[in-house]
Amino acid sequence: MSMTADAAIIGGGVIGASIAYRLAKAGKKVVLCERYDFAAGATGSCDQCVFLQSKNPGIHLKLALDSSAIFQDLSKELDYTIDYFKHGGMITIENEMEMAVMSDFAEKQKKIGLDVEIISRAEAAKRQRGLAGHLLGCTYSPQDGHVNPFKLTLGFVKAAQKHGALILIDAEVFGFKLESGRIKGIKTSKGDVEAGVTVLAAGAWSPVLAKTLDLALPIKPRRGQIVITEPVAPYVTGNLLSGQYIVAKYHPEILADSKSLAVRLGVGLSLTQTSKGDILIGATREFAGYDLRNTREAIREILKNASRLVPGLEDLHVIRVMAGLRPYTPDGLPLVGFVKDREGLFIAAGHEGDGIALSAITGVIARGLICDGKAYTDVSALDPNRFDA
Amino acid sequence: MTGSPENEIYICRCEEVTREEILAAIADGATTVKGVKIRTEAGMGLCQGRTCRRLISQMLARTRPPSDIYPPTIRTPVRTAKIREYTNGEDDL
Repeated sequence: MSMTADAAIIGGGVIGASIAYRLAKAGKKVVLCERYDFAAGATGSCDQCVFLQSKNPGIHLKLALDSSAIFQDLSKELDYTIDYFKHGGMITIENEMEMAVMSDFAEKQKKIGLDVEIISRAEAAKRQRGLAGHLLGCTYSPQDGHVNPFKLTLGFVKAAQKHGALILIDAEVFGFKLESGRIKGIKTSKGDVEAGVTVLAAGAWSPVLAKTLDLALPIKPRRGQIVITEPVAPYVTGNLLSGQYIVAKYHPEILADSKSLAVRLGVGLSLTQTSKGDILIGATREFAGYDLRNTREAIREILKNASRLVPGLEDLHVIRVMAGLRPYTPDGLPLVGFVKDREGLFIAAGHEGDGIALSAITGVIARGLICDGKAYTDVSALDPNRFDA
Repeated sequence: MTGSPENEIYICRCEEVTREEILAAIADGATTVKGVKIRTEAGMGLCQGRTCRRLISQMLARTRPPSDIYPPTIRTPVRTAKIREYTNGEDDL
């Protein structure tokens, strides 16, 4: 079967689905190809957070705030229940170093428009049971939330289909169609798709496909392991992160000399509870190539870290673990835009742990750049060519 | 499909997913046990699909050859385990 479209999208994760919806709604003829099934990669193995406080003050946080505003009414817009809840979130502060980093971080975030403050341990304990006694306090923002990543992705897909998009699952993309140097679509196990624009939204697997075009993308798979508990009555209020995650992500130099296994595995707490009651306990940030296995040492370190910060968790039962490959980029920002010297190729990948949070706004940015030649705001910081020598 | 008593049978007891919901997920395009799970949450509960993955595999096998169906990913733990059981262990486990 041979198909033609305005846009061929590679990847049925939350990013590809969000872009498919926006382009189809704008009247573009869209074909999306997904190798396995929706949310089969990093999207379906994440901690469900739409966490704003973890975003770097600047364009990163601004985009997350704009994304969060879209989530607010997205169930209605898509006519599909995505289970988005804005219950607020906290980041634990364990020592003076973290207090200094988080105070500075929060001050800068306020200037971008985030409602965030530092609260005492006593105040934090009113919001979250079971917190460790040694905490100095927490940051708190009422704007943090979470969303069901499966429902979010399916919601985008169904809405895209209503606007005429052709969505193919079990459709592996083998490579690109080229015509006198220009990218003219994709070759897939379900036939060729000829398209004016080809959107590469394959997350951590994007570099593998880009390589067939001699294009070296600065994206690396970074494994995140997460533990899932039995469903229990409401226990986690909103979302809880640990300051060590912020320090590790934005001030790696502080931890550079650490010999600890937890630091080496990039362990930072991410705690949230699903609507059904399961508690998700994360996570690691490890470079392990494309290895999707869970490891005993990581599960132990995640749980040791979590029960150190929230000892109240210790009597819960683990029912499952999962691992996802987050698409890492060197500056922590995704690549969204047209690729230089590869005419016809648009990339939207490299969101690392922010894929869910930034999914809604990534679709809007992609639609702007593809349909109007510009986004609603200056997105030059996301330019996929910014690492070119 | 609706109204038939056999369609009201729970295939996944933990998440209370009925046969009718599984059939709807397959009609929606699910070709694997994981695809059914994404659409219905079957297999995500306390027993982690120990019973329903076989039943769902059988239902999928009526729509496409068994050789085309990917099995679900089985992950640790082999039975539910208390967090304390992990954290109290030896460091060189």
